[in-house]
Amino acid sequence: MDLSKRLFINIIPGNTFLDKLTGKTKVRMFLALIVLLIATWDIRIVVPVLVLGIVGLVSIKPNWRLIAGLMGFVALMNLFNLFLIWIVSPDYGDEIVGGSTLLFQFTARYSLSAETLWLFMVRFVKFISSFLVSLVFIQSITPSEMAAGLYAIKVPYKVATMVSIAFRYIPEISRDFSDIKISMQARGMELDPKKTTLIERLKQNVVILVPLIIVSFDRVSNIANAMDLRGYGRGKTRTYYSEHEETPNDRKMKVFYILVALAAVAVIAGRVFFPAQHEVWAPWI
Amino acid sequence: MSNEKKSIGKLLLGKWDTKTIVGTAIGAALFAVLMNFGGIRVFTNTNLSSAMIVVAVVAGLFGPLPAALSAGLGNVLADLIGGWGFWFDWSIGNFVMGFFVGLLPLYGARIEDGIFEVKHIIGYVICVVLGNLIGFGVVTPIMTYLFYSHELTITWAQAFTALVSNAIVLIVVGVPVLILLAKRNAKKTNLSAEN
Repeated sequence: MDLSKRLFINIIPGNTFLDKLTGKTKVRMFLALIVLLIATWDIRIVVPVLVLGIVGLVSIKPNWRLIAGLMGFVALMNLFNLFLIWIVSPDYGDEIVGGSTLLFQFTARYSLSAETLWLFMVRFVKFISSFLVSLVFIQSITPSEMAAGLYAIKVPYKVATMVSIAFRYIPEISRDFSDIKISMQARGMELDPKKTTLIERLKQNVVILVPLIIVSFDRVSNIANAMDLRGYGRGKTRTYYSEHEETPNDRKMKVFYILVALAAVAVIAGRVFFPAQHEVWAPWI
Repeated sequence: MSNEKKSIGKLLLGKWDTKTIVGTAIGAALFAVLMNFGGIRVFTNTNLSSAMIVVAVVAGLFGPLPAALSAGLGNVLADLIGGWGFWFDWSIGNFVMGFFVGLLPLYGARIEDGIFEVKHIIGYVICVVLGNLIGFGVVTPIMTYLFYSHELTITWAQAFTALVSNAIVLIVVGVPVLILLAKRNAKKTNLSAEN
């Protein structure tokens, strides 16, 4: 899949509901949802977040053809990861969900229980929703709004700048990466993993990497000079041009993200103070 | 070049000017991109990752804290665009590992002045191994236990492969890259400082 398309980011704010919120609201909403998603393994919480993610995705009117390809890729990758986990520990879910209802027996070692399958399903839905949330976040925020949002949650502004510059240059760098890769292929470099050995591939990685690193770090002094000329880093605090006044929608969303954050706190507190016998809830246990 | 004695605290913090900020940011972006597309898969979510070289480069150019931030932030950004979920335990592990890799100036290696000799290489190798051991052998499993509890079994397997593969990449590729960088910088400084 084309990398530069995959890593598309907005530089100019769009005009949908989510786009028009302030950077502060976007960052806080994202953090609250992600913390909730990390904390919980309960399908009853994950599915509503998944629905929210889908609603958010629909509301920003994305390029659906691109999204479909992306989702397919991510789903496949997660399934493959689950498969690898199953290879390593076939009875992964039994203890965590609590029970061992045998579904399929392949060999003496490799069996699949309903509990493991359930856990894998929860895990899959969880990661898909976390990807959806971050996709909506990336697609609805601009780099400077991200810096403003981080600064509003008391991140030092130099770190906030760092994040926004890194975010801004990811598409650029991945474009360079695929350009270099293509030009190396044009010079006869074999990149097919089936036809090369591991050592060979490591060497090729370095051959691609050296020009990429040089090109990327050549940018540094240009960007730094431009920022210095505009007086960056003079003051102790910073304001952001991209950060506008809170709109009524921001105030509505504030209620929403505070609720999500409270839910996250409740989930974490619940896990710390009242640990359940089995960590992952299943309907039949 | 810089003959004035720097305190250890200053060495660890590095020069915190605009160039460092931008360099760290670009390093983080490179790290994120390479983590997504520049690896050779070894185990689930674990690659023989060329992203580690970026850490060595940032460490050589800017010092420990920038290297740590590049690795940590880069990992968060990689999670953001990767779609495999968020693993802050690993980001923190990378942060710690990056810090150790960046300790170059502490034992006298100064890439920006072209100083990187055999004893510095030994110091670098020790730091890489230590950093990976502490970062992925101690910090990440602790964080995994705190954040995700039952993912611990997988983290052990991943941590082991990550530890070995990162150390290999950082040493086998990182050392030549650092020597190259040092050589490149040494050519620029054929002037001796006047007192």
